[in-house]
Amino acid sequence: MNIEGYEFPEGLYYDKNHFWARVEGDLVVMGMNDYAQKMAGSIVYVGLPPEGKKLVQGKSFTKIESGKWLGKVFSVISGELVAVNEDLEKKAKLINEDCYGKGWMFKIKPDNMDELKNLMTDPAVMQEWLKTEIAEHGKK
Amino acid sequence: MTNPLQFDEKRRKAITQCSRCGFCRAVCPIFDLTKRPITNARGKMILMKEVMEGKLPVTEGVAQALLRCTTCMNCTTNCPSGVDPQEVIKAARKDMVGMGFDNLFKKMGEVVEKYGNIYGEPERYDWGHKKGTAPHVLFVGCVGTYREEESVEETIRLLDLMKVDFTMIDEVCCSGVMEDVGYKIKEELAQRNIQELQKTSAKTLITTCPYCFRVFKEHPSYKNLGMEVKHITQFLKDFNFGVKTNKKVTYHDPCDLGRHAGIYDEPREIIRKIAPNFVEPRRTRENAMCCGSGGGLRGSFPEDSIEISRNRLSQIIEETGAEILLTECPSCLHNFRNAKLRKQKIEIYNITEFIAQLLQEKEKKEAA
Repeated sequence: MNIEGYEFPEGLYYDKNHFWARVEGDLVVMGMNDYAQKMAGSIVYVGLPPEGKKLVQGKSFTKIESGKWLGKVFSVISGELVAVNEDLEKKAKLINEDCYGKGWMFKIKPDNMDELKNLMTDPAVMQEWLKTEIAEHGKK
Repeated sequence: MTNPLQFDEKRRKAITQCSRCGFCRAVCPIFDLTKRPITNARGKMILMKEVMEGKLPVTEGVAQALLRCTTCMNCTTNCPSGVDPQEVIKAARKDMVGMGFDNLFKKMGEVVEKYGNIYGEPERYDWGHKKGTAPHVLFVGCVGTYREEESVEETIRLLDLMKVDFTMIDEVCCSGVMEDVGYKIKEELAQRNIQELQKTSAKTLITTCPYCFRVFKEHPSYKNLGMEVKHITQFLKDFNFGVKTNKKVTYHDPCDLGRHAGIYDEPREIIRKIAPNFVEPRRTRENAMCCGSGGGLRGSFPEDSIEISRNRLSQIIEETGAEILLTECPSCLHNFRNAKLRKQKIEIYNITEFIAQLLQEKEKKEAA
């Protein structure tokens, strides 16, 4: 779906920190949404923590940086970090090029899949939320 | 825009003095990365000679080429003809801006004026340290404050553990970097810093950032500061820290601290106290390769900047086999940390941060 000019593919879960989640078997894959990657500009660095790290939904666990901006990455679900996208080490701008595909960031083994219910999927809800974000942070 | 740049006698002399031997190629971090002749000092000097003689028009391409320099001075150190290319390049950048070739740093200048820092961050992290008067005042700078605040926290903790009576101010960017990228220092910010620093009645200004150190020490806008300016390695060199590590430790000389300010021994004096297993990289001191963060390169070409850092880090690891890489510059630290690959097990710290951590480990052991 296209909301306010930004792509938000259906079938994914979205949090209010601008990260998405996708269920793959018993794992959850996460990455950055289209609005956030466009606002950040060319991304040059993502911290890739060691596998095994315990993550908590909504809590930051690493950093992400573009030429002009430094941000935090918030986990979309509680659980254990089981894989990172090592392609981002040398080419973090994959996030800009394909934020829902090759620019995926982390795979998490969730403690409780039900936590996904805390995320957004309803287009109407997301549109309202994104409008507020655009009003506060602008648009690119 | 085809007018040649204005070349004063000093610059004209430097450009003609370059014998085009190409010794600078071996030490230029950007040539090392790109292998393009235009990116090293020799290439830029030829380019400017052509412009000076009116054989080449001043174009956007020339302006872009001149931005590809970290001003690390490694070419200067290794120039058999005694040329200082980075001074020529910095002056030419100013000329080009004067001719209307604005670069992305125009925007940075606006951001610095509006927010008081180079990143346009609306809120400044405050470590909760005391403000007000004290014999010493600590100045952290933009990169430390907004990109390596956890490292700064450790530095502050170390000074506290060493019982240094120091204060901090609500600092704004020293803004000296504007001079390197074609613009002028922001006088209003400099005056604001001077006022805040003088309110502390401190006798010594301690900087963690070697670039800020140089600006406070050398720039005419800060000539009435009225206090001694010391880089933190100068300030701490005679302290006894009471901790040691058995790990293999090495040190990267920041260009702004080493080649630009001549401070090579003080960091090593500190490191030798805490790390008996200290090993120098092959290219070290005056010949240390740049980490790629200076001269505006990190801002204008961040991917190249990080790649240069990756090259330097690999070089250090191969040459030393060290477990710990120390430096004492927030920009070098940040670039190295961004560049480090997961397979590289080396740990990277500022010296002060590392000592604070050793002290914390010691405390924990004693408490256990």
